[in-house]
Amino acid sequence: MSEMAVTDPEGMDGVRMTWNVWPRTKVEASKCVIPLAVSIAPIRPHQDILTLPYAPLRCRCTASLNPFARVDFSAKHWMCPFCFNRNQFPPHYSQISETNLPGELYPQYTTVQYTLNPSPPMQSQTMEGSSPNFHPPVFLFVLDTCMIEEELGYAKSALKQAIGLLPDNALAGFVSFGTQVQVHELGFSELSKVYVFRGSKEISKDQVMEQLGLSIPGRRVAGAVGLQKGPMPNGFPGSHSAITRFLLPASECQYTLDSVLDELQRDQWPVAPGSRQLRCTGVALTVAAGLLGAFPQSSGARIVALVGGPCTEGPGTIVSKDLSDPVRSHKDLDKDAAPFFKKAGKFYEGLAKQLVNQGHVLDLFASALDQVGLAEMKVAVERTGGLVVLSESFGHSVFKDSFRRVFEDGEQSLGLCSNGTLEIVCTKDIKIQGLFGPCTSLDQKGTGVSDTVIGEGGTTAWKMCGLDKSTCLTVLFDLSSGDKASTPGTVNPQLYLQFRTSFQNLEGQSMLRVTTVTRRWIDTAVSSEDLIQGFDQETAAVVMARMASFKMETEDGFDATRWLDRSLIRFCSQFGDYRKDDPASFTLNPSLSLFPQFMFNLRRSQFVQVFNNSPDETAYFRMLLNRENISNAAVMIQPSLISYSFNSLPQPALLDVASIAMDKILLLDSYFSIVIFHGMTIAQWRNMGYHNQPEYQAFGQLLLAPHDDARMIIRERFPVPRLVVCDQHGSQARFLLAKLNPSATHSNSHDMAAGSDVIFTDDVSLQVFIEHLQKLAVQS
Amino acid sequence: MTSFLHPGAQRPGGSNSNSPPPSQQHPPHPNYGNPNALADNLQSMNLNRPNYAAPRASPFGQPPPPISSAAPSPGHWAGSQPVARPGPSPLSMITRPMGGPPSRAPPGAFIGRPMGPAGSHPPPPSSLQSSVANHVGPSPRFPVSTGGSATMPTATGVGALPFATGMVSSTPLGATQAGPVSVGPPVASGPRFGPQVGVPPPTVTSSASAPSQVPTMPPFISGPPRTAMQTAPSFSSQPQPAMVPLPGSSFVAQPWQMRPGQIDQPPPGPGAVQPPRMYALPNQSMTSISHGMAPTGASSGGPSKIDPNQIPRPIPNSTVILHETRQGDQANPPPPATSDYIARDTGNCSPRYMRCTINQIPCTADLLATSGMQLALLVQPLALPHPSEAPIQVVDFGESGPVRCSRCKGYINPFMRFIDQGRKFICNLCGFTDETPRDYHCNLGPDGRRRDADGRPELCKGTVEFVASKEYMIREPMPAVYFFLIDVSMNAMQIGATAAACSAISQVISELPEGPRTLVGIATFDSAIHFYNLKRALQQPLMLIVPDIQDVYTPLQSDVIVPLSECRQHLELLLESIPTMFENNRIAESAFGAGIKAAFLAMKISGGKLLVFQSVLPSVGIGALSARDAEGRTNISAGEKETHKLLQPADKTLKTMAIEFAEYQVCVDVFLTTQSYIDIASISVVPQTTGGQVYYYQSFSALSDTAKLYNDLRWNITRPQGFEAVMRVRCSQGIQVQEYHGNFCKRIPTDIDLPAIDCDKAIMVSLKHDDKLPDGSEFAFQCALLYTTLYGQRRIRVTTLSLSVTSMLSSLFRVADLDAQFTCLLKQAAIGIPSTPLLQVREHAINTCINILLSYRKFCATVSSSGQLILPEALKLLPLYTLALLKSVGLQPDGKIDDRSIWVNFVSSISAPLAIPLVYPRMISVHDLKTNEDESMVPSSIPLSSEHLSDGGIYLLENGDDALIYVGAAVDSGILLQLFGASTVEEIPSQFVLQQYDNPLSKKLNEVVNEIRRQRCSYLRLRICKKGSPSGMLFFSQLVEDKNQGCMSYVEFLVHIHRQIQTRMS
Repeated sequence: MSEMAVTDPEGMDGVRMTWNVWPRTKVEASKCVIPLAVSIAPIRPHQDILTLPYAPLRCRCTASLNPFARVDFSAKHWMCPFCFNRNQFPPHYSQISETNLPGELYPQYTTVQYTLNPSPPMQSQTMEGSSPNFHPPVFLFVLDTCMIEEELGYAKSALKQAIGLLPDNALAGFVSFGTQVQVHELGFSELSKVYVFRGSKEISKDQVMEQLGLSIPGRRVAGAVGLQKGPMPNGFPGSHSAITRFLLPASECQYTLDSVLDELQRDQWPVAPGSRQLRCTGVALTVAAGLLGAFPQSSGARIVALVGGPCTEGPGTIVSKDLSDPVRSHKDLDKDAAPFFKKAGKFYEGLAKQLVNQGHVLDLFASALDQVGLAEMKVAVERTGGLVVLSESFGHSVFKDSFRRVFEDGEQSLGLCSNGTLEIVCTKDIKIQGLFGPCTSLDQKGTGVSDTVIGEGGTTAWKMCGLDKSTCLTVLFDLSSGDKASTPGTVNPQLYLQFRTSFQNLEGQSMLRVTTVTRRWIDTAVSSEDLIQGFDQETAAVVMARMASFKMETEDGFDATRWLDRSLIRFCSQFGDYRKDDPASFTLNPSLSLFPQFMFNLRRSQFVQVFNNSPDETAYFRMLLNRENISNAAVMIQPSLISYSFNSLPQPALLDVASIAMDKILLLDSYFSIVIFHGMTIAQWRNMGYHNQPEYQAFGQLLLAPHDDARMIIRERFPVPRLVVCDQHGSQARFLLAKLNPSATHSNSHDMAAGSDVIFTDDVSLQVFIEHLQKLAVQS
Repeated sequence: MTSFLHPGAQRPGGSNSNSPPPSQQHPPHPNYGNPNALADNLQSMNLNRPNYAAPRASPFGQPPPPISSAAPSPGHWAGSQPVARPGPSPLSMITRPMGGPPSRAPPGAFIGRPMGPAGSHPPPPSSLQSSVANHVGPSPRFPVSTGGSATMPTATGVGALPFATGMVSSTPLGATQAGPVSVGPPVASGPRFGPQVGVPPPTVTSSASAPSQVPTMPPFISGPPRTAMQTAPSFSSQPQPAMVPLPGSSFVAQPWQMRPGQIDQPPPGPGAVQPPRMYALPNQSMTSISHGMAPTGASSGGPSKIDPNQIPRPIPNSTVILHETRQGDQANPPPPATSDYIARDTGNCSPRYMRCTINQIPCTADLLATSGMQLALLVQPLALPHPSEAPIQVVDFGESGPVRCSRCKGYINPFMRFIDQGRKFICNLCGFTDETPRDYHCNLGPDGRRRDADGRPELCKGTVEFVASKEYMIREPMPAVYFFLIDVSMNAMQIGATAAACSAISQVISELPEGPRTLVGIATFDSAIHFYNLKRALQQPLMLIVPDIQDVYTPLQSDVIVPLSECRQHLELLLESIPTMFENNRIAESAFGAGIKAAFLAMKISGGKLLVFQSVLPSVGIGALSARDAEGRTNISAGEKETHKLLQPADKTLKTMAIEFAEYQVCVDVFLTTQSYIDIASISVVPQTTGGQVYYYQSFSALSDTAKLYNDLRWNITRPQGFEAVMRVRCSQGIQVQEYHGNFCKRIPTDIDLPAIDCDKAIMVSLKHDDKLPDGSEFAFQCALLYTTLYGQRRIRVTTLSLSVTSMLSSLFRVADLDAQFTCLLKQAAIGIPSTPLLQVREHAINTCINILLSYRKFCATVSSSGQLILPEALKLLPLYTLALLKSVGLQPDGKIDDRSIWVNFVSSISAPLAIPLVYPRMISVHDLKTNEDESMVPSSIPLSSEHLSDGGIYLLENGDDALIYVGAAVDSGILLQLFGASTVEEIPSQFVLQQYDNPLSKKLNEVVNEIRRQRCSYLRLRICKKGSPSGMLFFSQLVEDKNQGCMSYVEFLVHIHRQIQTRMS
């Protein structure tokens, strides 16, 4: 692990940048090879963040009052650091003085949080989604019933547990689907009642609402018998009371839901021999979205979908019903041999649009041995800021524990929030290209928008229907191509960025967090020393990974390995110290030295080497890569390895096959899985039960240590990683070996010391890679 | 209905060598295996009809009389009557001995034969004279002929009509033997009592007895109700003492005979007493009515001069007739469809199953055209047999299936002729010579028949049922599936229709056959369709809503339809809760089309019966309808010509759906419990195409219609019926089937598909000559119905009717079947109503009637006087029925659209026995019901004329579907109290429910009503009609002989017809 992780590199602001000093011009920025990018965790909790019980003051340029504003206490006005406009303080700031500063002006509070009044916010006209009302959270569970009995049982019990964990006021609803979609009406006392939608037919939001009796108040609504009349206690106005037939406070419907789940059977629709089960995931999600469409725009609601297989029926189908057609692979996608892929992708994109419009979230929990179509559904999950967990079975801890975490309270809570909007204000000359991460562009044009669009771009504001405390976004910046002479460099050597995130927390409280950061401009033409000092290798590696993933998805025939190699070579040529054409003379400043290794591992990672994985897995990895913070993302690229042995403390080990030793235990954290690897000797001792003998207590402790550490990691992480415990030469050891640098392979194994391991691969090792890199970097 | 005959098992005469190997499969059968099946079956019917009572009394608080009291069990029946009647007259005593002596066979053979020729021979001159004489003779004396110039002597064929009495009175013997009718005597009494084989033989005896009767005659004559004097000895093949005494001729036309005022006339002789003796004088039998204009040619208010009491009217008959379908190797013309008869299948099928409009076949199309009559068959393949009739035998040919002609695929029947020592047989349908299958071979006897013919039902019976072999099955026979679909929209809830439907279903499910083969499902609908998963595993039923009513689907592939045994509790629970669950439903829309489509999709795999309860005009979803009756009314001036368009379906949607339903063997029955326009014209397309039925509860009232709804549903489900049926009628060469009419779906020209067929459904088959037929030959019709029984057997019911071919026009008239003729006329009118302007339909009906009579007048009657209206005896009621038809709901321009539609729909599948009362209802007086009257349960009917009503009387009028109780203005309050529990007319609630009070009169009324219900297989809805109120108007509009509804009175109509004929003659 990098030492930076220890010191909370993100700090209070939750901001990390590839470059912490910025070159002045576009030309120079392009010479930096690694783009100017900022990673921001918009609502990452931090003990020092000040929460203010009022709305912020805003400049005409939309920036909020911040510590970097120059305040004229006598004249009672402040100058916005972004646009240099003067703003008068409003009357309630009249008490302001040098000794009596409001919280947002304290220099150490670069990040402050505002609690917005329940009364209509006065200054947030430009902000969407802030609502005067407190809304209870809404959870609409969508359960696939095309599963074997056992899996369905696991899924049901997970759901029951989740419902039990919901806050009492949270509204819960339930939709099950197989060949058809069944919307369960929970507010009907006489008997269980479900609305059935056909899976094979595309259905619009309006149709869903009309058919559920949600669109025309007074028509079906009144007809629905046995439901409560009048406005609901949860604050929804009368016209929306129809929705309460389907969504009830958890405290009221828990019993009903439990019995519904108890009676829920596997999908009974007959399956022709040689066919897949008919599963209409697409329509089920449309119906769920349509149902939530009855809510007012600003209320946060989540569709929690548990899917056990691929969609084979109706819109969103990803594979034919015929079992002899396999689900598409990367190869098929490459050769354009996946007949359903594009169509399904379009469909889910439409769904994503609808959900974003409504401000609702799609969480996807997919458990299947084969693919479920995550690659196609990715767009809907990612754009809405939903959670995603991919596992092999609903009985697997990856699903079970992750799912529980979603609903759990307390320290481990994910801190689910809804209805987020991120706005970025930046100093003139800085342009926003776009964003990677779980959000959708709101298409809010402004002067800060770059012509080049990468990711979710073309805007200065983004919608995050769902976000949680670990949500992280990457913003890519560009500099205006204008002449720097026009910028009076003398005026301000600092640049400013302000991130304003409004959201609704789980209690339904509207919040706004404003983070303002400043960095130094530098004239790189003069010296690159400062620039190099401001380089963040980890962030750079992650940004490169995100860009490579993005390009692989969006650019036809994009060769990621080649692109990474070239960038790395350019980077090294640019910043390395060497004599031309003398590879031996090549050195890298310590601030840059780790970067090549990151790139080496990135080239070998699941993000670039997609052919080892299914498109679903790739989509899953990428989604998490894009939404995790830099440290976690770095682990995905370059796993951390800790070695445990007698007589020494656990210590980081080289991610190299050479780290394997018979008397050591290794703990590999590759984010998605955690591997505890026992050396052969350790394994033998353990098998013989030495650790149970009092005289070998130390051995017992040694065995336990990695498990404890693993548990620590697992507890922190969502989705819960897969824990693999294995022994050297065991079959599961492959989870470790795949990640290690193949410094010892079958071709050079004779050099290796006894007791270490070899990896059977033709991949180049890090050493070979670096040698080549040096050679190429110094070429003239 | 049928009993098993195992081929080879009991074959009395059959030679062993030829008898097929005993078939191993005698499937023990719940229904058919039981020798008492018939009785059982009947029991179940009885249960249905009268029952109305006991079990479900509670729910509706309308306790009808207990079962036992209502319908006599079969055995009981035969026995009870003789007992009950203290001997109508000495005559019956006399006849008894007569019955005994003649031995059956010889006479039959003997006399039967002569008859044939007699029939086909032209009338002997003498007979002509007789008719002339008849008419000439009595006319002056006619009491009615008051007017100077306008005398209206009415002459009849021998004894046909009362007015002809003078002549006939000579004595029966004279008439029959000596007189005009040389052929007469034997026949005279015969046909009347069709069934008696022995009829002819008694020639001697009868003549012998005749004199002895003479003295006894008078008493009858004076006793109006008991006119029927002539007891025909009914000796059926085996002595059936019980039957013998039945006076056969209660049939006789007493009404116009018995008028007290007429007594002074020459007492009608026995001949007169046998008016319908049409067969007696083969050609002479006719009714002639002359009216005033006749002699002078000047019409001086002629009509009024006709004595209404002497014009032809149906003669009620309460006694049982025995009918043998063939006698003397010739088809025996069947008794009237409306009469009570017991048929004995002696080669031809019972007329219940198949009836031809003419009982001889004209040899050319020209001959037929000349007669003005139409040639058609009325087929009712599953008709309810009389309880005393022998059950239809089931024949199992095993794997190979029934023997069939290899060319036309006709089924083996008694008329296939075996030749070449039985090695070959000639098909009576196509004439092809087939090889006899080896294991079916049998030697021929000296008479050319197979020696085993009498032992094999298929060789001696007109109706048999074959067990279908594998090749008749595309799939396993379908289970019995019942799917109930109930309207729960606001209106349905408010008028109580939903509750009524639920309660009816709930009671009816207990009567569905037990066992795993009975599947049920249920759904409700308003603007969405609600299915229910009734699987037992669930704690409670699960409601599954299909909200997309533009494009419906089934919410589950399984579990929506489950075996009854597995869901009984859930179903009962659900039916109980539906009315409360939707109690406050505010959805007014009703998605009928979507509902049936969705239910169909759920049933598609198996097929089955879909029973829909609909209460409002379907307004949304697939096949939504609009209130077009209102549209029609608003622009009446423009719409006048187009009114009939409202009787057509609004569009093709439902028709297309229905065809698809039929393809998957789904039969839809619709119960329309509504209080407003519901567009029956459109809705009825579905039942009509799928072999179902429409039940219409006009102005539904939860109070008075609940019982009917239940009983209709019950009968619908419990009546004998079959599923996934295919029917085809084959004819001998020279005639082919032109068209089928009825409730079915037709996809290929030759066959009709009936997703369901039941005992009440009749199909009209119109026929067309395509060649000249050889005179005197036999001509056969064969109807084959392949169907699946309730219990999952595949069967082929084959009914064969063989008639002789004639070239004589007069023969055609002699053997014309009035009931069948009129039923066809009725059906044709119904077919025409939606497609042609009403005026044309009415004209067509009148013209058909006139043409027939004209043809008869022109070619058969030789009466010289043009002043006489001469009616063929067999068709003498045709004018009356035609008039009644003109006055029926369907042909009345001012009727409500729905009322007319339902009428049209009802007629489309109506059987002959019900067709007549539909237009010419039965009216009886109720206030003077005699509690101990044992003659017959139902008192004799009163002509439908207001003259016969008295202000102090209460009358019941029923048409087989509906019943009206008319309470006169001055009824004795005691009677009112006894019958209605009210002391004045005003106190009787207009929402009437017949209750039984503890007094004999009330009990009797209930008995009578239940008896009528039993007869009609219909729970008549009773409506109370009071004089001076709209209901009273309704009642009077039913009196078809009166001048009303802008139509002529009966007398006027006769005059009108006569004029028309005269005009065309000249």
